[in-house]
Parts: sequence; structure tokens; C-alpha cells
Amino acid sequence: MDSIIQTYQLTKKFKNETVLKPLDFTLKKGEICALIGKNGAGKSTFFKILAGQQMPSSGEVHLFGKSGRELEKAKRRIAFMVETPAFFPDFTAVQNLEYFRIQRGIVDKKRVYEVLEIVGLKQEKKKRFRDYSMGMKQRLGIALCLLGNPDCLVLDEPINGLDVEGIMEIRQLLKKLSQENQITILISSHILTELNLLANRFVFIKNGVIVEDLSKVLLEEKSKKQILITVDDSAKAVQLLERAYADIQLKVLPDHEIAIQNHVENSGKLNRLLVENGVMVKQFSIKTLDLEEYFLGLVGGDQHG
Amino acid sequence: MVNYMKSEYYRLLRKKGLHLTGILCYILIAFAAAVLYFFGENEANFPYATDRFFYSNVTAAGLVIIIIGLLYNMALTGKDRSLIKQSISFGISRSIIFWSKLILTLGYFLLVCVIGMCLMLLLGDTLLTHEPEAMRNFLIVSVNMIPIVLSGFFLGHALKMLKVGDVYIIIVMLVIFAILGDLLRFLLRPFAALDAVYKYAPDTLLNDNLMSFVDGAPQLGIQYWIVGLMISLAALLIGARMFAKQNID
Repeated sequence: MDSIIQTYQLTKKFKNETVLKPLDFTLKKGEICALIGKNGAGKSTFFKILAGQQMPSSGEVHLFGKSGRELEKAKRRIAFMVETPAFFPDFTAVQNLEYFRIQRGIVDKKRVYEVLEIVGLKQEKKKRFRDYSMGMKQRLGIALCLLGNPDCLVLDEPINGLDVEGIMEIRQLLKKLSQENQITILISSHILTELNLLANRFVFIKNGVIVEDLSKVLLEEKSKKQILITVDDSAKAVQLLERAYADIQLKVLPDHEIAIQNHVENSGKLNRLLVENGVMVKQFSIKTLDLEEYFLGLVGGDQHG
Repeated sequence: MVNYMKSEYYRLLRKKGLHLTGILCYILIAFAAAVLYFFGENEANFPYATDRFFYSNVTAAGLVIIIIGLLYNMALTGKDRSLIKQSISFGISRSIIFWSKLILTLGYFLLVCVIGMCLMLLLGDTLLTHEPEAMRNFLIVSVNMIPIVLSGFFLGHALKMLKVGDVYIIIVMLVIFAILGDLLRFLLRPFAALDAVYKYAPDTLLNDNLMSFVDGAPQLGIQYWIVGLMISLAALLIGARMFAKQNID
């Protein structure tokens, strides 16, 4: 069984608002899939439906090929961390994890200490959860996820509130879990650069619809280099370029700047064409789009995550 | 289910506030008995230093016991409700959560009640003047109270699990267990066929039970069990069904 998570025509409606439109999604074994979308795009709702916290309005969820009554059993092989993890505020980390260890029928008592060591909370023995910083709470949430040696992690904003060092540690940890333990990961985050460093698949969601689903290779291909030229007369430059290259894909930006998405390999010829025809080229550069720029180009808007 | 109950038991054992509430109740019971004993010994013609009067306080406190039960529910299911979403994520069914929490909370509440009752019987028997049949009558009215008190407990649990606000829960409890009888009597008076329905309201039944104890002639009554069972079944079945479909996030 290669598919860990599969959804078929999944929808979610809240009164008059449709948060998830018929959504088909498959997560395959070994993938680290980043779910990317703006606030309100439907990411958390999608995660909550997968976790069973919310009921879908229609459609089906299959986990490890199981659905219906068998879903709960299959869910035990997946660890979910959706939004802020909740723990007993008056309990220490050990007590909180012990509560869940008993609940999930994990026999090995040492596992509590092992996962606390993995996330760097082993030293905080006496501190109560209510006194934890946001980053510590997130770490404990990840520790809880790891408690049952899951085959798949579903993490909604797991690095929220972590400092730079913490983010790096969690990234390394997730990479290690994926490589050494073959744990499949579905993750969302506001920090797109982190996702870029971690994921090997990128799914873009907008208004409850998956608008793009790319592998890392394809994303790199799609967000490949573009030429940025600043000239003294953009209208004339565009005219020259379009006359010389019929298939040219360009965008005129403010301040006489032109972005050319193709013909990057002909950059020298393009430059010469403009100069020889009397267009002054003030600046000529080749730039690669990062995930953030690609995301903004795809889903638009000023807020991302 | 066993694992979930074990984990909740682990949590329950570490709820200091809950244990302190129980201890406080026992101290108040002992204090009441001590006060009655003190005045009985030191005041001539003090009429209340009797086991019958002592027991009548519990018989009259049906609503208070229901509210204490609600407090136990709030402590064990209310504040910790945010953790339920994680249990659900880990594949524990809503049904297991609903019934496990009920069984555990009820078990603890019943334990507190049984200890409290034993303490009362012990203090009433050793410190206060005996009146004929007082202990027997107290046990009879206690048996009559059980289904009504439990129905209040179940209703409180169902409402708490359904995330109903505390103020609304208290209002519902007060309406059903404090004023429903009067309300029905007033509303159904014009309908001859229904004007006796108020007699089966929980508050009317609790009141009748108290009066029968005061009169010294209580009897076991099936009506307490029928009404208690009806409220309990309705609360639990509807509650469990709604909880199974509820979004928990």
C-alpha cells in the first residue's frame, strides 16, 4: 500500500460558506509534502478533517487504504499536530506524555523520556506546561506525535513560535525521521523558506481548491530563472523583443523594468538586440524565483502561509 | 476503552482540587454533627440534636448534591475538554471518550457520596439522639433520591460534553430540578387531563420525598426511578449521539 492518505471529493461547508471544495488528494509513502496556502485557504480545516476533529460535509478519507469504521485503527499509525497542541496546564511534560502513553496503550515507559530528549525538553523536568514558552509547547506537541512511533506525521504549523535555532533543529529532526525511519510527512507552515528546505512535494491550496501540485524538481523547473532588465524606454524594448521572439513571455514592471520568463539561454543576444537598436540597458540580471515568490505569483495576495 | 479510562484515572488522581472538595464536604458534615452535638449537650430543650434532623439536611439538599455532581463533571470533563481533540486524532472514538469520562466521573462521584453517607450514618449514630426508625427512613429516602440525583449528573455530563456554556447548564439544571414542578402546575392547570403532570417533576418528587421523611413515613417509590430513568436515558442517548457528530477542535 503506497498511499498513506487519500481523499475523494472532500468538501466542508460552514453554514453558507464552502471552505473545502471537492478536494482529491493523495499522500504517498516517503513523501514530505508541504501544503501551502493563505490564511483561510482551507489548510487547517483539511488537517482537522484528516484528524477526525471535524466531519466532512461530503466525500471520503482513506488512511492506509482504510475508511469508515477501520479509519480509527488506521489513524493510530499517524500522528497529528493541528494548530496549538493542548496539554494539561498543571502537568509537567513527563506527566502530560505519560497520560497519552497510557491512553494509547504504549507499553514502553522509557519512550516518554526518549521523545523528550529528541525534542530537547528532557531537562525541563519540573516545569509545568502553563509556564512553557510557545516554542516549548510546540516541541512538546512534536514529542507527543513521536510517542507512538508513527508511520506518518501531519503537522500544521509545527515551527510556529520557535526561534531560528529551534526551527533548524526541527527541520533536521523531520529530515532525519523521513530519511532514517521512512516517516511520511504532511506539513504546513508560514515560513515558506523552511518548507522549501524540507519538502519534496508542494501542494498549493486556494479557496479550498488545490491549484497546483508539484514535485520539488517540477517546482524548480517552474520557478526557474528569469531575466530582469531595466531600460530607458520599456515600450520600445518590448516592441523589439516581441518582434524578434514571437513566443517570448514577458511582463512589464514599474520603473521601466521588464521580466522575461523564457529565452534565458539567449540572454546575451537579447541584450545585444536592445543595445544595437538604441535602447539603453541600465541593468541586466538573471534571477531565480524562490518558493515565496512562486507562491505569491500563484495564489496572489499580500498574506501567505 | 480500558486504556482511555486508565489515562483519565491517571489524570483524576492528580486533581488536587477535586480531592479537596470531597474533603471539604466531609469536614462540613462532621462540623454540622459536632455543632448539633455541642448544643444538644449544652442547651436544655435543644430539639435538633437528633439523628432525624441531621439526616433531613441531606434529604433536603437534593439540588445541592446535583450541583456538586455538576462541579465534579466540570472539573473532570470541562476544563480538560481541549485535550479531547488530540485523543480523537490518535484514533480514540468519540463514543469511547463520552462513555469513559462518564463512567470514571460517576464512579468518583458515587465514591464521594457513599463515603459521605457512611460518615453521616456513623456520626448520626454515635453523636446524636436516636429517633425511632430515623436511620431506616433515611436509607429509604436516599434510595428514592438516587435516580433523580443521577439523572441530574447525567444531564450535566451530556451538556458539558456538548460544550454548552456553564451559565446555560446551571439555568437548565435549575429549571428542571428546582422549578419545573411549579412551572408545570401553573402552565397545565387549564388542562384537566394534564394538571397532575407536575407531580412527576423532579423537584416535586424531591420535595415529596423530604416531606415523607419529615412525617416519618417514607416509602420506596417507583415514580422516582421512572422519572430518573427517563431523564437519564434522554440526556445520555441524545448527548452521545450529538457528541458523535460534533466538531471538536
